[in-house]
Amino acid sequence: MKPIEPPVDPAQAVFDRAAATVAVELEDVTFTYHGAGRPALTGARFRQVRGEMIGIMGASGAGKSTLAKCLNRIIPGFEDGDFRGVVRVGGRSLDGARVSDVAPMVGMVFQDFEAQLFSTNVEHEVAFAMEQVGMHRAEMVGRIADALGAVGLKGFEGRDPTSLSGGEKQRLAIASVMALRPSVIVLDEPTTDLDPEGTTEVFALIRRLREQGLSLVVIEHEAEELRGCDRLLLIREGRVIADDPPDHLMTRLDLLEECGVHPPDLNHVAARLGVRAHLGSVAEAEALVRKHFPRLADIRADSAGETIETPAPESAAGQGPLLVEIRDLSFSYPAGALVLDKIALTIASGEFIAIIGQNGSGKTTLAKHIVGLLRCEPGKILLSGRDRAAMRPAETAQEAGYVFQNPDHQIFAATVEDEVAFGPRNFGLDPEEIERRCAEVLQAVGLEGARRHDPFLLGKGERQRLAVASVLALKPRLLILDEPTTGLDYREQRRMMSLIADLNRAGIAIVMITHTPWLVAEYARRVVLMRRGTKLFDGPVREFFAHEEMLLSASFKPPEVAALGRRFGASTLSVDEFVNWVRRHA
Amino acid sequence: MPIYRYIDRASFVHRLHPTVKVLGLFVVFWSVYWVDKPVAFVPLGVILLTLAVLTGSAPNFYSLRWLFIVIITSTTISWMFVFGHKGAWVTHTSVLLGLGRGLKLAELLAASVLFLSTTKVEEFMVGLARLGVPYRARFAITLSFRLAPLFIDSYLTVVDAESLRGLDFSQGRIIERMRRYVPVVIPVFMGALRKANNMAMALEARGFGANSHPTSFVEYPVRAGDIATFVFLIGLGAGYFAMYLTGFGLIAR
Repeated sequence: MKPIEPPVDPAQAVFDRAAATVAVELEDVTFTYHGAGRPALTGARFRQVRGEMIGIMGASGAGKSTLAKCLNRIIPGFEDGDFRGVVRVGGRSLDGARVSDVAPMVGMVFQDFEAQLFSTNVEHEVAFAMEQVGMHRAEMVGRIADALGAVGLKGFEGRDPTSLSGGEKQRLAIASVMALRPSVIVLDEPTTDLDPEGTTEVFALIRRLREQGLSLVVIEHEAEELRGCDRLLLIREGRVIADDPPDHLMTRLDLLEECGVHPPDLNHVAARLGVRAHLGSVAEAEALVRKHFPRLADIRADSAGETIETPAPESAAGQGPLLVEIRDLSFSYPAGALVLDKIALTIASGEFIAIIGQNGSGKTTLAKHIVGLLRCEPGKILLSGRDRAAMRPAETAQEAGYVFQNPDHQIFAATVEDEVAFGPRNFGLDPEEIERRCAEVLQAVGLEGARRHDPFLLGKGERQRLAVASVLALKPRLLILDEPTTGLDYREQRRMMSLIADLNRAGIAIVMITHTPWLVAEYARRVVLMRRGTKLFDGPVREFFAHEEMLLSASFKPPEVAALGRRFGASTLSVDEFVNWVRRHA
Repeated sequence: MPIYRYIDRASFVHRLHPTVKVLGLFVVFWSVYWVDKPVAFVPLGVILLTLAVLTGSAPNFYSLRWLFIVIITSTTISWMFVFGHKGAWVTHTSVLLGLGRGLKLAELLAASVLFLSTTKVEEFMVGLARLGVPYRARFAITLSFRLAPLFIDSYLTVVDAESLRGLDFSQGRIIERMRRYVPVVIPVFMGALRKANNMAMALEARGFGANSHPTSFVEYPVRAGDIATFVFLIGLGAGYFAMYLTGFGLIAR
């Protein structure tokens, strides 16, 4: 192990005293990935005081992860490229250190929890990093107990990590880095792949770690989740363009949106009502609204009960002819528990349905049945009145298309055009028709200028739209999208949702599997809530968000603007709706 | 689809020192190497089946029953024909030889299943360490148990995604069918590269390679039962070698 030399220059003494309170410091850090035309990070500098929690926000590709990887020497130790500048941890320069040398000082938790668990039981997983640095077993035993206790996994010691839920896996990953007792923990979008329950667990843990005085760096797209930070860094095109406390930065809504960050809805409400304020909670927002609009003072949550017609995208056909009819569908995987239990569901032409529920509740299994990836026994599925079991794949594809969560699970062709044409070619369409469909769907998803591009060089948002296009080319009447916005920044999410809403307006029925509450509130018309293979709720989205207890039991946190509306007895699902309601009543 | 089939029990075999278990696996491989007469496989077969029951590994054996049947029957039939001669494909000798080869493969499989059913990956690491296998090689072997199910899941998802776009794997001649797997192989391969890269990054971030001699959280004291089993295994290996030397375990050709 190459030692990291402490500074010996006497002139450093003053710096050392100051550095004693500094957890991390970056000085003019610039990094260009090997083969890239421009730096991913340019002249980044910031200083984190011990015990501080810093949030890093920015669009996909802005340089957030690059910055995070500089903190534990993954850059330039692991990633190849041109690195300039200085990174100091606890006052010591990391120059020349290996990634593994830095592990005891800076712990890092990644988005992909599957890729950071290596052992067959929880206890061994936590021990892994300590084994690597050559720690004695007696010391490990105490640290394992401490780390598991800190993340709430005591009693899980013997469990196989693969049997844990997403939130538990991510908490285990955090415990595994905590065991080395680093002075700084970096969390790179730790909740992106989690369901609402897992997200709640991880952010609750982050809050606890912060209370314990750990220095934390958290990367996140949703500004709302970073309200508790001491400072926020906003990154755009590789440059840190803002380094401010949340109450300052989170009121710069236009700047946040420009940078691909979802601004907090409550601040948005305040701004739309003419007040520039940083609101830390729904209660604060309520107080502010009542203060500025005294005529609302008498309206209480239980007094109005008003519902508002949604200005969200209109559905084309509403309750048109039935596209899908599911009768008594039950299913279990071989030697497994029941995944679907007597499900009955109908989907009409032009509907926009959100299917929600925890991981393992049966959402994806249900969707796979509709498109014919799984056989329904017992039960029956009718597509436009015909038994799906008797339909040929080409016929099923024209009724229902399925876009997988990860576009990289289907992309293989050398050009965007070939990728889109793949399905129509397999189903034997003639070249002219294929060409016509390619042009049509590429225009619909905004990729008409990328026909000859290599799909693997597109950004994640573009690859997701390409995946949609390649399914659309088969002209399905129903499009099922499995978590279509996972891993996308706010701007890309809006773009993807705008595309889906357009398709819905054009007459395609949409079924969207999602964990994101604001997408459900703003875009869906109907909600199907699944739990342990059963349908817990099936009804209009507004009615769904009115069931506070059910939302709580499903760990589905409604958008804050919906909670704010409820405090005034209004069923508002978006900032626009709430602001309009206030204006009407004030 | 779990590739690692550990069944958590407190049996005598589960509690054995990992090095003894690795030695046991080696002794089975050693023993079946020296013999080819079907009757010679009986003692080892009885031992393996008894242990399968005593260790609670029977469910793993049951789930692989068809594999055992296919291995024994297909190997028996194919070796019968290999050793048939003068127009008579099925002779007494060729049947014995075919059955012996089938039992040999089945016992190798049975020993592996028993080992995986009773040994944790971490124990496997310790066992390999005692046998002098370098740390990085040991880790790579054990990591493969973790990665294989992830890649299998990824493969199945890609097959689903492409089949929904009309890719039919069941039609055409073999070359044509192989060509149809290109749209599957590319996403799986790209995904595997990404996953391997993420995993390597996470490993380094957790200190992998910080110390050329990592310590081990799992410690296994050598007990009397380990020594007794060790002696028994040496005796078993020696016994099978004796069958070879005396010709008892061989088919006269």
